Amino acid sequence: MGEYESTQQLDAVFSAMADATRRAILARLAQADARVTEIAGDFTISLNSTSKHIRMLERAGLVRRSVRGRDHVLSLDATQMQSAAQWIQRYQPFWEDRLASLDAFVTRKRATANQGKKSR
Amino acid sequence: MNMPSQEQPAVVCVRREIAASADEVFDAWLDPESLADWMRPGQILRTSAKVDARVGGRYEVLMHRQDDSLLHTGTYRVIDRPRRLQFTWISPATEQRETLVTVEFLARGDERTEVHLTHEQLPQNEETLASHTQGWTMAFERLDGRCAPAPSP
Repeated sequence: MGEYESTQQLDAVFSAMADATRRAILARLAQADARVTEIAGDFTISLNSTSKHIRMLERAGLVRRSVRGRDHVLSLDATQMQSAAQWIQRYQPFWEDRLASLDAFVTRKRATANQGKKSR
Repeated sequence: MNMPSQEQPAVVCVRREIAASADEVFDAWLDPESLADWMRPGQILRTSAKVDARVGGRYEVLMHRQDDSLLHTGTYRVIDRPRRLQFTWISPATEQRETLVTVEFLARGDERTEVHLTHEQLPQNEETLASHTQGWTMAFERLDGRCAPAPSP
């Protein structure tokens, strides 16, 4: 069932990344670790709302939380984001090649049709 | 459970200008012989294609390799000749998940067509499945926002 789990994980990553605030939080954490309270301050959103966003990011495995004394410190875990990137890396060249091939096909067909017209 | 967002972060956008009419380019997608010809990546020996070219109709693109074959399948959601084509796409590379391909054909005069292709993932939970029709329409409306602006011809 490994494949099924990885698909679910991918769903969690995509849902987590489908929100501008959460992407901004990830960008912020890419620069440096931060406390939950700092994040809430940066984005002028309530602590409650910040916590919800962070929980989604944690569930997706994009953010790790460690407790240092009284502080909850967040850090970025980019491993999961790579699986989303891999999907894009797989399909971008696939479609670029296919459209090039479509171009060649249509152009060839057109040349043949034109020749047919001329010889008539 | 959070509301599924309308935004899809994992999106592939590809565009290409082809020196032919929109009709010619569009038809190459729905004619099985044409499709089998150009839907053949380098490592594939031969492709066979079956097309039921109507909304809700199914297609099958089978790519044969040396020892096995890769099945690509899905159903047509929009067939608007020669402007727009939209179909689901399920393949080994999508881990058998349903994904969505939208192809737009923009006529640049009689002899040139710009093809815009968007391939996006669909979340698979049930609420989203129920609102797919709306989602697809919106996905298409967002196309221009997502892809980089077209270079002026």
